[in-house]
Amino acid sequence: MSDATDSCLPDLRVNLGGLALSNPVITASGTSGYGPEYAPLFDINLLGGFVTKSVTLHERPGNPQPRTCETASGMLNAIGLANVGLERFCVEKIPFLSQLSIPTIVNVAGHEVSDYVKVCERLDEIECIAAVELNVSCPNVSDGLEWGTDAKRLASLVREVRQVVSRCKLIVKLTPNTGDIVELARGAIDGGAEILSLINTLRGMAIHVDSRKPMLANVTGGLSGPAIKPVALCMVHQVYQGCTRHNGIPIIAMGGIRTWRDAIEFHLAGATAVAVGTSLFVDPRSPLALIDGMRAYLKRHGLMSIQDVIGKVQLPEK
Amino acid sequence: MSGNMSGQPTPKTFQLVQSTVINHQRICREHYRLTVSCYNFANARPGQFVQLSPEMNPQTDVGESCQPDSAQSGTDCEASLSTPALPFLPRAFSIGGLRRNGSTCEIDIIYRVVGVATEWMATLRLGQCISLLGPLGQAFPIIQEKPRAFLVGGGVGIPPLLWLAEALTNAGITTTAMIGSTTKELLPLQHEGNPAPYEDAREARLSSTEFARANTPAIISTDDGSFGFKGNVVEAFKSHVSANASESSRAVVYTCGPERMMQGVAVFCAANDFECYVCMERSMACGVGTCQSCVVTVRSEGPGDWRYALCCTEGPIFENSQIIWD
Repeated sequence: MSDATDSCLPDLRVNLGGLALSNPVITASGTSGYGPEYAPLFDINLLGGFVTKSVTLHERPGNPQPRTCETASGMLNAIGLANVGLERFCVEKIPFLSQLSIPTIVNVAGHEVSDYVKVCERLDEIECIAAVELNVSCPNVSDGLEWGTDAKRLASLVREVRQVVSRCKLIVKLTPNTGDIVELARGAIDGGAEILSLINTLRGMAIHVDSRKPMLANVTGGLSGPAIKPVALCMVHQVYQGCTRHNGIPIIAMGGIRTWRDAIEFHLAGATAVAVGTSLFVDPRSPLALIDGMRAYLKRHGLMSIQDVIGKVQLPEK
Repeated sequence: MSGNMSGQPTPKTFQLVQSTVINHQRICREHYRLTVSCYNFANARPGQFVQLSPEMNPQTDVGESCQPDSAQSGTDCEASLSTPALPFLPRAFSIGGLRRNGSTCEIDIIYRVVGVATEWMATLRLGQCISLLGPLGQAFPIIQEKPRAFLVGGGVGIPPLLWLAEALTNAGITTTAMIGSTTKELLPLQHEGNPAPYEDAREARLSSTEFARANTPAIISTDDGSFGFKGNVVEAFKSHVSANASESSRAVVYTCGPERMMQGVAVFCAANDFECYVCMERSMACGVGTCQSCVVTVRSEGPGDWRYALCCTEGPIFENSQIIWD
C-alpha cells in the first residue's frame, strides 16, 4: 500500500495511559486463552493489544462442569478461574507472548492481597508484559466478599499492588455487580490505577425446567455477550462523565461488543479502547472486521482520527 | 503464530470456512443428515468435529444467508415460514462423513433436534450458507498392529463411527459395528429389511446401509426390541464378543454415545484387556481451548491424581483408562 493511500486512512492509534496501541481493539480476558489458540485463524498482531486469561499465584483446576450455558444473546460462565498458575505461565506462556509485537496485558486474580502482590511483583519483572489488569471480582478468602464491590476495600488492594508495580501499567477491571460503579472507579484511581476496564460479567443464573437443576454446576455465573451491552455502555458513560473525563484516566470498555457499531458507541461514551470477549466464540475474526468497520465509519464521517469520537456523545443540554 | 513472526507459515490446523447446504434429509423421527460443501477444508480425520453456526457478518450485525433466494425445495427438513431463532454460540458436531473432490469438500453432520440450535438447523434449506470452524480436536487412533475393531455407538453418538468404519476398512482392519437406540423410531440410520427381534447378537450382518457402504457388518439393537437385538447396545456388544471370543482377542474398541453407555463399554473393555477409545461430548463455546467450558475429569500423575482435560483440544477422543467416570 502506498504512502499516499495510507495518509488517507483514518488514524486508529490511541494512547492508552501511556501504552501506544495501533488501534483500539483488544481482547477481553478469558476469551482468547494465552495467545496461540486463535493463531491459526488470524494474526493477533493486527489487534491493538492482547489480554490473557486470568493468572493466579497457584494453578487452579476450576469448577466442575457444566461451566457455561447459552442464554438469550449471551452466555453464563462459571469457569472458576481455571488457569496454569504463575510459575507455569512464566515458563509455558511467556515465550509465545514475548514474540508479540503488540502490548500484552496479563489479567491477575487472587483471593488474598498477598496473592495479587506476589503475582504482580513477578510479572512486573517480565519485559514483554506491558500492563497488568486486576480482576477484582473474586471473593476475598477472609470474608467471602468480592474485592471490587466496595470502594475503600478496592482502593486498599490497588494501593498494595501499586507498591510492587513500577514498570507495568496498572489496570483495574471493575465489576458491575455493585451499587455505584463511579464510586468504585474513584476507589481504584485513589489506589493508583492508571487505566480502568469495565465491565466484568453480570451475575446471573439459569435453571433447566425438566431436571429443575441449575444449568451451571456452580449454580450462578457471570453473564456476558450482547445481552449486557446496554448495561456496560451505561456504566462506561457514568464512569466517564462522573470521574475519568476530569482526570484523564483512560477506559477500556467491554461488555457485549460484537460489531463496529458497538465499538463506536463505547468510544462515543468515553472509552479509549474496546475489548472483544464473548463474540470471539461466535466469530474469532470479528475483531478484525470491527477494525475495518471503525475505519470505514470514520471515513464516512470525514474524521481523521478515532480521537475525534472518544467521549463525543451528544447529550441533551441540562 | 502468523508467518510474519516466525518466518514460517502457520499450518492451518483448523479454519473458519463458509459452507453451503447441498443435502438435508430427515433420517428418523428426530434425526437429520445435513451435508454441506466448502472449499479448502483442512486435513481432517474421524473423531474430529466442527463448530457450526449461522453465517455471521459483523458488518451487518446479524447472521445472513449468503444466498437467501436460492433455497430450493426437495429437502425433508422443516420448511419454516417464520424466521427461526438463531443460536448465539456455535455448536459442536462430530464429522459423520467427509468426501473430497479437488479443493471441494463435502461434510456430513448427523444431528438430533434437541434445542434452539438444532431447531434452527432443521430449517436449513438447500443453498443456504453456514459457518464451519474446523476440523477440531483429536482423532480416533487407528492401530495398524491390531487387525480387529469393534465400534459401539448409541443414538446420536453413531455418526463419528460411520466415518471411522470407512477409515478402518481402508486400513485393512476387520470391523464390526454395534449400534443402538432406545427404539426403532430413533435409529439414525437407514437399514435393510426389518429383522424380527432376536435374543443374541452372535452374528453381525450388512444390515445398516451406511455401515454396509464401509463394508462393515453391524448389529442393530433397540432397548425396547422394536428392531434387531432387544437390549441396550452394551449388552449387544458383550454378547457378541463373548460369542466370538477367538476373533475378539487383540481387538480395539471405539465407542461414542451417552456417557453411561460408554462407561459400560469402557468398564467391560478394561476387564477384558481391550484397548478402548471413547468419544466424549461436552457443551462448549469456542471449540479451540479458550472458553474452558468443556472439562473432562481424567487421571493425572500430578498432585491429587486427577485433573480437568479440555474435551475440545485434548479430546474428544480419550483412551478409556484416562477417564474418571462420574
